[in-house]
Amino acid sequence: MTLLASILIDGVAYGMVLFMISVGLTVTLGLMRVVNLAHGLFAMLGGYLAATLMSRFGAAWGVAVAAAALLVGAAGIALERVLVRLVYGRPELDQVLLTIGIAFIGIAAAGVLFGTSIVSVPLPAFLSGVTDLGFRMMPTQRLAAIAAGVLAAAAIWFLLERTLFGVRLRATVDNTQAAQAVGIETGRIFALTFALGAALAAVGGILGAQLLPIEPNYVLKYLVLFLAVVAVGGLGSVWGSLIAALVMGVVETAGKYLMPELATIGLYGAMLAILTWRPNGLLGKH
Amino acid sequence: MAERFSLRGYRGLTGAELVIPLAAAALALIFPSQLNFLMLVATTAIFVLSLDLVVGYAGIVTLGHAAFFGAGAYGAGLYAIHVTAEPISGLLVGAAAGAAIALASGLLILRAHGLTLLMMTVAVAQILLEVANKSRWLTGGDDGLYGIMPAPILGLFAFDFHGRTGFAYSVVILTLVFVFLRVLTASPFGRTTVGIREDRERMAALGTRAYPHLVRTYAISGAVAGLAGAVSAQTVQVVGLNTLSFTMSAECLVMLVLGGTGRLWGALVGTLMFMMIHHSAAELDPFRWMFVIGFMLVAVVLFLPGGVVNALARLAGRRAERASR
Amino acid sequence: MLKHLMTAAAGLGLLAFATAAPAQETVKVGVIAPFSGGFAGSFGEPFRQGVETYVAMHGDPAPGVKVEFVWRDLPATDPARARNLAQELVARDGVQYLAGFVFTPNAIAAAAVAEGAKVPTVIFNASASAVVSQSQYFVRTSNTLPQVSVPTARNALEKGYKTVITAVSDYGPGIDAETYFKKAFEEGGGEVVESIRMPLSTTDFGPFLQSISLKKPDALFVFLPYGPPTFSFVNGYRDNGLDKMGIAFIGTSETQESDLQTLGEAAVGLETAYFYSAAHESPENAAFTAKLKELFPNVDPNPATVSAFDGTHVLYEMIRATAGKADPDKAIAAAKGLSWESPRGPVSIDPETRDIVQNVYVRVVEKDANGRLINKEIKTYEKQPDYGVQK
Repeated sequence: MTLLASILIDGVAYGMVLFMISVGLTVTLGLMRVVNLAHGLFAMLGGYLAATLMSRFGAAWGVAVAAAALLVGAAGIALERVLVRLVYGRPELDQVLLTIGIAFIGIAAAGVLFGTSIVSVPLPAFLSGVTDLGFRMMPTQRLAAIAAGVLAAAAIWFLLERTLFGVRLRATVDNTQAAQAVGIETGRIFALTFALGAALAAVGGILGAQLLPIEPNYVLKYLVLFLAVVAVGGLGSVWGSLIAALVMGVVETAGKYLMPELATIGLYGAMLAILTWRPNGLLGKH
Repeated sequence: MAERFSLRGYRGLTGAELVIPLAAAALALIFPSQLNFLMLVATTAIFVLSLDLVVGYAGIVTLGHAAFFGAGAYGAGLYAIHVTAEPISGLLVGAAAGAAIALASGLLILRAHGLTLLMMTVAVAQILLEVANKSRWLTGGDDGLYGIMPAPILGLFAFDFHGRTGFAYSVVILTLVFVFLRVLTASPFGRTTVGIREDRERMAALGTRAYPHLVRTYAISGAVAGLAGAVSAQTVQVVGLNTLSFTMSAECLVMLVLGGTGRLWGALVGTLMFMMIHHSAAELDPFRWMFVIGFMLVAVVLFLPGGVVNALARLAGRRAERASR
Repeated sequence: MLKHLMTAAAGLGLLAFATAAPAQETVKVGVIAPFSGGFAGSFGEPFRQGVETYVAMHGDPAPGVKVEFVWRDLPATDPARARNLAQELVARDGVQYLAGFVFTPNAIAAAAVAEGAKVPTVIFNASASAVVSQSQYFVRTSNTLPQVSVPTARNALEKGYKTVITAVSDYGPGIDAETYFKKAFEEGGGEVVESIRMPLSTTDFGPFLQSISLKKPDALFVFLPYGPPTFSFVNGYRDNGLDKMGIAFIGTSETQESDLQTLGEAAVGLETAYFYSAAHESPENAAFTAKLKELFPNVDPNPATVSAFDGTHVLYEMIRATAGKADPDKAIAAAKGLSWESPRGPVSIDPETRDIVQNVYVRVVEKDANGRLINKEIKTYEKQPDYGVQK
């Protein structure tokens, strides 16, 4: 049925964007037990940087995205080394307070540097416009988001399952102290993971800029969505966040198609239902 | 073993509670043209106190507490418009509304922990917000519920637009709530709550089931939050959807954590600090106040850990008389 | 206990920063609007620009009488704070007039202060019909949704659209727009096939647009708030191919100037009906625009700027009528029935409702001689009142 296909494809596109942005958050939460409420900063910053590189410096889209991801990754490392490290092991509330403070500063800085209106991220020719899927027209950018999400998931799988870094990362997540005892440099793992999560969030922010427009309030406005993906998926579970993001994307989309007035209630109701059924998230541990 | 809520626990009261009305009176004398603002601070402080009961004492981190504040606000507002404008009974209606929502949601979600619980509190509040938004015929939707005209308190003290009556009203209620919570937290009921937060397994070994107790605590907190909402509805005379918003929950959590959890005083200090700084910073430069509050939060976390009150207690070298002892 | 007192003392020190009101021969006007947060760019900043442009063009309201604006930030709906700010502006800063207000609950909360303290207030935006009646000292210079939606429906009928689907954001102004468009369109013989209300927090409008495209109406009537939702929706309209399917876009404020350039190519050809276009051809608009650009070089005039500009005109007239003295009833009497040529066109203040009566223009987005996007006016509906008040 056309309607079902539409719901699925729109939902998956939206879900992929959420996945790319949130996967970094779930890993840092699960890995470092750090509640980072400012995670949306990375996605927002990615959008701003890409837009600036393209409009001010005339960079090509691919270059801008790569550069933005690298810069945001570096910013992630800097943030982790300077501030976040100071609250490892501190009570959850302290982390909440610190990261909300960082979020506020980020919002204010974005307002000063880029203005308070939305900034649009220009699209390259091959991504703008629509593609004819046969049963309907689909914005090409959405298809790109799906492709990117699949690519990201595959890359993450490869990283975790087939590289030394991945082995070390998984060890550190499972049991940090044992990992240290075995000689794994957990500090470096933390920093790199933070950076990767930030960089991926930046890419998600850029690709999702039409769905989640780039403006200073981005950080706190969509925080609930990102946290929901993490909670529903299970802390620290990459695949959990993928499933959760897709489920949430499809549920919200289905709501919009079928019962628009109750779409928001439907989404949160579904979230409550899933969390009641699986309190540790879909694929969460302990 | 039955818990009793014991009023003989006057040990909870030290006489320090009188600081609240005294400080309020002093502030009112020094800033007579800002009674309205002080009234807002007092009303918010009642809400943040209810949050301390849940976050500081019971250890439940929530970002959806506004659900109970909003429920109380709309409940009291609708009561004033459709039933009677008598304010004291309006307060009770607000408290009951907050308690009811807290009880219902608590039963549903309090078996969960950590981030899951946090997200469930958010979900509950968001659903309530959407329901209020949709029920335009009842709540006015995003245009707000207006036309709330509370009658004079006890038939004697009329609400004036200067805010004098409203100010005294909110301070009296704040003091009473504070006393109530002091007694509650010092009582066996309160100590059980803290025990559950600190060591659930040991409490279970002693025969206490955590879940029912937490639900009761949550419901009481909901009642206090609803009470705060009712005061707000009566003194502002308009109830907006912001009373149910994530922003409200988040800001008040920030105020609490800033001041320090688990001491009740932290709720007052945090509210006063946050709102005063917001008030001044927003006036000096409306465009940049987020910088101020952001840096302040970071500074408090790094240099005054545990919130202002707890850090000051440590600096003063006194043994922390936290709820945990 | 000691800690509490210490912190109270610190708080007192902070409050001392607040400036006391100087007693001068100056008329103060308190403006409450969002100057931070997501609505600053669409409302707060344009309000400030409109006010300052008017002042730069007209100088002092009357000989020996100066005017001073006091700006207070209110980023979102917060009636408690709105009332507080209004009350402090009056009691502590000594303002004679209040102005601004974007959100309806905020304006209604301030009404208690306007009535209690008798302070004439000029509403620069809050657009629910019920707002102005909350206080006899309220005057509005922006618009209401019924005022704009009814001519939009009439225009749709004249263009020959038979079936329309309405898609609005699920909040007050959106519902008003839907209600009055539907009423006027159906009264004229058209059919509103479906009315969709989209949650305000929606970021992805794809699903809504898709389901509309499946039903293939002649046209799509839209109302969305300024900023990100408009941006997402308009892009979605193009990306999902609704334009190519022949589903016409009937909007209201979606192409207003603060969003127009960001929308870019996606906006070209869109038809909307609203009360102000920066491309309105009149000497008043030319003078206004020139002064605005002189003071704020990178800024385009938009409906919010003009609402504030005209609001300042009303303030000036009230100040003139009272020679700068506080005489609220005389001031409001002067505002009632006022009529003048605004940059948007001819306007007047209805003496009974104290609301603005103005022209509504149908416009289409085109590129001007310099390749910049403009809303070109193609039709005028004259002297539209607030239909929300007339039953």
